[in-house]
Amino acid sequence: MPRGGHSPDHSDGAHGVQHGGRIDDLPVLEATGELDLAVAPWLRDQIDALFADGARSLVVDLSGATFLDSTALGVLVGAVNTSKERGGRIHLVVTEPQILRVLSITGLSGAFSLHEGRAEVLGARTER
Amino acid sequence: MNALRDEELLTSEREVIEISFPGSVDFVVIARFTAATIGARAGLDLNEIDDLRLAVDELSISFGPLDGESSLRYEFVRDGDTVTVRCTREPAPGRLSDRGHRDDAETVQSQRDLVHWQQARQLSVVLLDELVTSHGGEITDGRSVAWLMKRRGTR
Repeated sequence: MPRGGHSPDHSDGAHGVQHGGRIDDLPVLEATGELDLAVAPWLRDQIDALFADGARSLVVDLSGATFLDSTALGVLVGAVNTSKERGGRIHLVVTEPQILRVLSITGLSGAFSLHEGRAEVLGARTER
Repeated sequence: MNALRDEELLTSEREVIEISFPGSVDFVVIARFTAATIGARAGLDLNEIDDLRLAVDELSISFGPLDGESSLRYEFVRDGDTVTVRCTREPAPGRLSDRGHRDDAETVQSQRDLVHWQQARQLSVVLLDELVTSHGGEITDGRSVAWLMKRRGTR
């Protein structure tokens, strides 16, 4: 399956972005595989669609992702900005050390609400 | 990797790998794969190889959005424990005349993509500063070239 399209729900098994249900009232996007300049447009389309549906905050589950480059990170930063404008936040579920390293190098770790698993997202919301 | 194998790789002759592919986002994965292979042959550890893969990916971002019409040429050179990578964007003949007309919707999408790429480019420079020993860009024979150098043990 070509990787360059802009389908609304995109996954080819090895790399993809798809809806992953909800945590509480938060929509979840699952992004798996290598999130590079080929996947970034799909990620952006999916995030845009959720904001268009009225979401203020999102969970982006990167626990199945192994690679994140500046184009995919830029999409996530754009989501942070949109979410902030609406009084929300972007929750990232991250387990891959290299992705955490990318966030650390770029000084963007604090821009997201970082979690090691989905259960932690719910816990963080319950605490507030 | 054992010590004997390690020494064998580090003392072998200089190696050069050249690859070229259409300037489409779908093919950059080939450059990352090559980076991992040559990084391993330079004796980089797994974390350094991950850094090199990401850095090589970031080189392709130096040129702005890939249009599928131009092509990218990567030259990987391993010299002992040092890897140098040069990425050249080769323009397609007649590209400007081919893309001379854009409708409004395409222009808006194009401007949005450009903003996204400018933001990615800023992040890319920050990443490259940390991931490799040195990096830069130049114009050679009218072509844009982005390059990096990574030496073993410098993470």
